[in-house]
Amino acid sequence: MVDPARALLIFGLVAVLSLLVFWPGGGLVARGLLLKGMNERVRMEDALKHLYHAAASGLPATIDSLAGALEVRRGLAVRLVERLTARELARAEADRLVLTEAGRIYALRIVRTHRLWERYLADRTGIAPELWHTLAEREEHALTNEAAEALAARMGHPRYDPHGDPIPTVTGELPARSGRPLSTLPAGTAAEVLHLEDEPAELFDRLLAEGLRPGARVRLIESSPQVVRFNFEGHEHALAPLAAASITVEPLAAGVELDEITHPTLADITPGAAGRVVRIAAACQGPERRRLLDLGVVPGTVISAEFASVAGDPTAYQIRGALIALRRTQSRLIQVEPVPLEAAS
Amino acid sequence: MTTTLPPVPAAGPGCAGCAVPSRRENLVQLGVRQDKWDWLVALAGNPNTGKSTVFNALTGLRQHTGNWPGKTVARAEGVFALGEQRVKLVDLPGTYSLQAGSADEEVARDFVLFGQPDVTVVVLDATRVERNLNLALQILEITDRVVVVLNLIDEARRHGIGVDAARLSRRLGVPVIPAVARTGVGIPELLVAIRGVATGEIVNRPYRIERHAPEVERTLGALVPLIEAAYPSLPNSRWVALRLLNGDQRIEAAIRSGELGTLTDADHALVGAAGASAAVPTDTRAVQLLETTNQLRWQLPPGFHDAITADNFAAAETIAAESVLRGLGRARFDFDRKLDQLLTSRWFGFPLMLLILTVVFWLTVSGANVPSAMIGHLLIDQVNPWLKGVATSLGAPWWLSGFLFDGVYLATAWVISVMLPPMAIFFPLFTLLEDFGYLPRVAFNLDRLFRQAGAHGKQALTMCMGFGCNAAGVVATRVIDSPRERLVAIITNNFSLCNGRWPTQILIASIFLGALAPPALAGLASAGAVVGIAVLGIVVMFLSSWLLTRTVLRGEATTFSLELPPYRPPRVLQTLYTSLVDRTLIVLWRAVVFAAPAGAAIWLIGNVTFGGVSVAEHLVGWLNPMGLLLGLNGVILLAYVVAIPANEIVIPTVLMLTVLTARVAGVGAGDGVMFDLKSTEQVALLLRGAGWTALTGLNLMLFSLLHNPCSTTIYTIYKETGSVRWTVLATALPLGLGFIVCFLTAQLWRLFA
Repeated sequence: MVDPARALLIFGLVAVLSLLVFWPGGGLVARGLLLKGMNERVRMEDALKHLYHAAASGLPATIDSLAGALEVRRGLAVRLVERLTARELARAEADRLVLTEAGRIYALRIVRTHRLWERYLADRTGIAPELWHTLAEREEHALTNEAAEALAARMGHPRYDPHGDPIPTVTGELPARSGRPLSTLPAGTAAEVLHLEDEPAELFDRLLAEGLRPGARVRLIESSPQVVRFNFEGHEHALAPLAAASITVEPLAAGVELDEITHPTLADITPGAAGRVVRIAAACQGPERRRLLDLGVVPGTVISAEFASVAGDPTAYQIRGALIALRRTQSRLIQVEPVPLEAAS
Repeated sequence: MTTTLPPVPAAGPGCAGCAVPSRRENLVQLGVRQDKWDWLVALAGNPNTGKSTVFNALTGLRQHTGNWPGKTVARAEGVFALGEQRVKLVDLPGTYSLQAGSADEEVARDFVLFGQPDVTVVVLDATRVERNLNLALQILEITDRVVVVLNLIDEARRHGIGVDAARLSRRLGVPVIPAVARTGVGIPELLVAIRGVATGEIVNRPYRIERHAPEVERTLGALVPLIEAAYPSLPNSRWVALRLLNGDQRIEAAIRSGELGTLTDADHALVGAAGASAAVPTDTRAVQLLETTNQLRWQLPPGFHDAITADNFAAAETIAAESVLRGLGRARFDFDRKLDQLLTSRWFGFPLMLLILTVVFWLTVSGANVPSAMIGHLLIDQVNPWLKGVATSLGAPWWLSGFLFDGVYLATAWVISVMLPPMAIFFPLFTLLEDFGYLPRVAFNLDRLFRQAGAHGKQALTMCMGFGCNAAGVVATRVIDSPRERLVAIITNNFSLCNGRWPTQILIASIFLGALAPPALAGLASAGAVVGIAVLGIVVMFLSSWLLTRTVLRGEATTFSLELPPYRPPRVLQTLYTSLVDRTLIVLWRAVVFAAPAGAAIWLIGNVTFGGVSVAEHLVGWLNPMGLLLGLNGVILLAYVVAIPANEIVIPTVLMLTVLTARVAGVGAGDGVMFDLKSTEQVALLLRGAGWTALTGLNLMLFSLLHNPCSTTIYTIYKETGSVRWTVLATALPLGLGFIVCFLTAQLWRLFA
């Protein structure tokens, strides 16, 4: 018989060791996977992407900007550029680096895969928005072209990624980007959010927390060097100018109605009262939104709250003739205007 | 745009489908059995509209109908005669919409479009016309060969709702038949309408939404003419255009393959003969069409899908407002609401739930004892010796009769006698609660608890089901329609102590744990220990659900919705019949299929010898060191290996192996034969004699809760998830937990006791 104390000790050691090895994110296995991702091809593809984004935003790309973007030493960046030039994917013009046509097509394909994968994560999985970009950074190098095309077909050829960036087509076409930063809008202008910048992550998280998503409609109240204030879904929001600059918007044509009254949400409707749906919040996307729509939660639907469960959540609602239980996390996303109960016949 | 063809006489038997090869191929792909029929009829409808009842009324086949949404995941088929014609009826999954957002919706949509049924019967719940019309309108966009059944008009009348069927029929442009499928009212009229639409005597002019938002109409205006030019006989070009703009992959594929050209509203036979060559465009035109679609897609407004859905519901609302007459004020669901308020009230909700579930379990446990003993006595004590007697008198060698009757037969008999009675009581009771509509309320009340573990409230139901049988519990997870929550429910179902494990728990608790308490309290202590193990199972279920949704299942998509159907009086006799056929016998049959070979294996290891020692003894010897480390022993580990097929035979196998290895004479029915002892004292004497301690007993109870699911359940998990990965996880997770828990218990016990 093994001595129980010694057995427990050995067990404890084994447990600690396996945690060290398999711990998600920080364990040896996870680190190994990360290192594996740092190979030559991945660096080259990242370099192409950097040159592409630089060209798109009109900034000069140099060896130094490349080293900075890829977080590598300057020597390595030089070697990368040599390799790219040798394969005729990029060339140097004076001290600037520009993409060749072949390089542009290659870069666009990486961008396409990246944005497709983000769309996939947003629509078909439960992965949190903060992780989309990081995961797509990895997947853009791993997915083959065929797999990316199959994914695009399965997703119904999405046009935009969940941040609002257009997804380049297979042939490398990209619709011209209009729009301007929210902070440059004249006060009182109504606009639709086209794009939210997903880097740096902290800023992106902040925008997500405000409930902003592409397609959201806002009206600028004030833009000063200190603060940018705007109305969105009936609430006033305030952001630092830097944060507001990372929101790209397109001004709406005059006459487009914008609902700026503060609406309660379905979660505010207590049993025995009713509300008419004004909209599902822009923050509700993917399968959750589709499910609500299919259940009949569309603008104009009158919903009456019937009774709460023993624990207070979920609550049962009468929606177009059926009794449907919704959790508070869902009913908070449905904006309504209270109506008398008789309307909910 | 419909081509008005003269009514075509029905084709000869078996030929309606064979004229167009692609349709037949489609049907094979869609999983329809290829027996002979004249007309193919699909049955569609929202969940919980009594669709399955209509199916039964038409076919006479007793398909199980449950009062909770999402029942018919596996599709049912039936054949019935309509005059001279044989009609094949296919029951489609109940869905809220046909936007192909879920697997169910895709199945239903593909069938209506590519299966080209001669008639699609859409079942509407008369108490919820507006909601149900949403689906009906979507089907009318695809096909005009539709008959609408307005089911449950009796229930509607009770609730003060009247529906003007004639008016609804005029608005929808298809026959609308009021019916009470449960009692057969309206079924003859339905048959007449099916015949009329199938023969073409009734020509439908289905309602279709003509106006969407201006941007959508502009895009459609550019795309529809292209589609009409390429496929002149297509009955639903607007719908096809909308689907293409939505990026529907299946429709794109149909355009690429030319399949779309074979879909028309004309009689299928005619198209096959004449229309095919003209209707199928060349490849270049198909590619052009798809390219144009890709360009047009950029012009659509961002909330395109939302807008289309809203338009559909708006149309449903208008039509319902015209044809549905309500009683005074709100629809009268007063009784339902009062009952709901009682069953979900803060003070009575949980006590009532506990009371109802306790009664169900008590009836199951106490009611099953007598029949279990009777069946056991008959099959094991009477039939087995008789069979062996017959074999001996026929001169069969000992090994043949031993293999067949002490191995294969005995294991099977054991499983039947332990499993059948509780399941035959538990499942009908559970089904009655389900039919009445109570179970969704249980899910509703418990959802908050489950949500905190990342699971769905309906997991409470599949967990309860697991107390009857884990395999049945895993099948029951089909009612959970969110992918992640369903996987959680499947993987953790094994932590519900199934009824094959209860006898082990009770026996071991009364021998080893009852003995630790003073004699007066022994019974209470052992009962407490068993309940404690079951509660531990529930705790482990919550903990592992929590852990799973934060690690391996983090990336699975999650949604929540729970429909609370109206209360309906359960039909007791039909429930007894169907739950016996549907659940009990199917689960039992699977168990028997797995138990018989296990019986053979057990007999073989007990009777085949190497060097004068049986295989079982060799194996027990090898497993003993590990068993002892875990606070168990080699006999228990070997019993769990060979008894993977069924937990019921663990104790008989343990007893057989103990007698074999401890070389006790005069107990049981002979070497290498499974047996059970009539009195607990005898078992206690035997096990203590073989070196069992209170620790062995406790750890056996823990291991009985925390080990791999039985092979029936493993197989079911594989069938339900279709994934080796999840099956392996569901098997390894409880086993790993069992090893760790038993090991730690053993070491701590030895350290402190």
